[in-house]
Amino acid sequence: MRALRIAAVADIHLGEDIRGHYRKKLEGIEHRAEVLLVGGDLTRHGTIEEGQVVADELGDLPIPVVAVLGNHDYHSDADREIAAMLRDAGIIVLDDDAVVIPLDGTRLGVAGGKGFGGGFAGKCASEFGEPETKAFVRHTKDIAERWRHVLKNLDADHRVVLSHYSPVKDTLAGEPPEIYPFLGSYLLAEAADAEGADLIVHGHAHLGTEKGMTPGGIRVRNVALPVIGHSYVVYCLDGEGVH
Amino acid sequence: METPQYVAARIQRALAEDERTNELGIRVDVRGDQVFLRGQVSCEERRHGIEDVAREAAPGLTVHNEVQLLEVSDPGEEEHL
Repeated sequence: MRALRIAAVADIHLGEDIRGHYRKKLEGIEHRAEVLLVGGDLTRHGTIEEGQVVADELGDLPIPVVAVLGNHDYHSDADREIAAMLRDAGIIVLDDDAVVIPLDGTRLGVAGGKGFGGGFAGKCASEFGEPETKAFVRHTKDIAERWRHVLKNLDADHRVVLSHYSPVKDTLAGEPPEIYPFLGSYLLAEAADAEGADLIVHGHAHLGTEKGMTPGGIRVRNVALPVIGHSYVVYCLDGEGVH
Repeated sequence: METPQYVAARIQRALAEDERTNELGIRVDVRGDQVFLRGQVSCEERRHGIEDVAREAAPGLTVHNEVQLLEVSDPGEEEHL
């Protein structure tokens, strides 16, 4: 098994007003990385028109592209249509499932989806009280459960979790602590720690910090565009992997 | 005069919910009759949109648009994990 170079970005928030700009930044990406992961908030308002811009900007790249949607991509209730448009453009869109991409003899497994909030251990919402509160917490629990199941069955040499919401507090540093429960949930990290992964990539927290780690020792990277300040970052996973 | 905290909250909510912006990452500070907007967006049009929505949500106040354009540079050195 060999090392893999993985490009990652999130929160590109594309729209007609910046059409063409991001695509230019991806020129030559095939010389830097073997796959591009995009961690949600592909659009600003989640409209079909913006989805088309995303399909045009990320489609037909010389390397595979794996994406998840973010909260902005749900805003106009067109998330399914946007996901379908992206898939038509050849982009792999994860929705609490996984894909195994063969890359020159090495199998990269990517699992994940949008994720959701709820907060972090000791300071989080519980499934208690009003139905609205229960529904909020249940949504995250269901997602984490699906991730655990997907990861359990993911047979690959390297395993990466792709999310929009954050699994840890570390990568939120810089955001107001009061809004942490809306930025992520420890349940996402717990699922990954239980089944093992080499890396978790997320976005959502524009004021956050790039680097963090789960309680179980999985590296976490916040690749929101304003955080990384680059068109994308490249992580090189060495040849050992996690099982 | 309206309490500054409520004015700031109303502007921030407008920036998030108004279809012209839907911007969640803009910091709003109100000092007296002065409103300060800070954050990063991808283009000049979005920067102006934020100012327009903030002005409408805070009539009579002076809005200072300190929102910056997000500079995205080429990818840097790769990180080995």
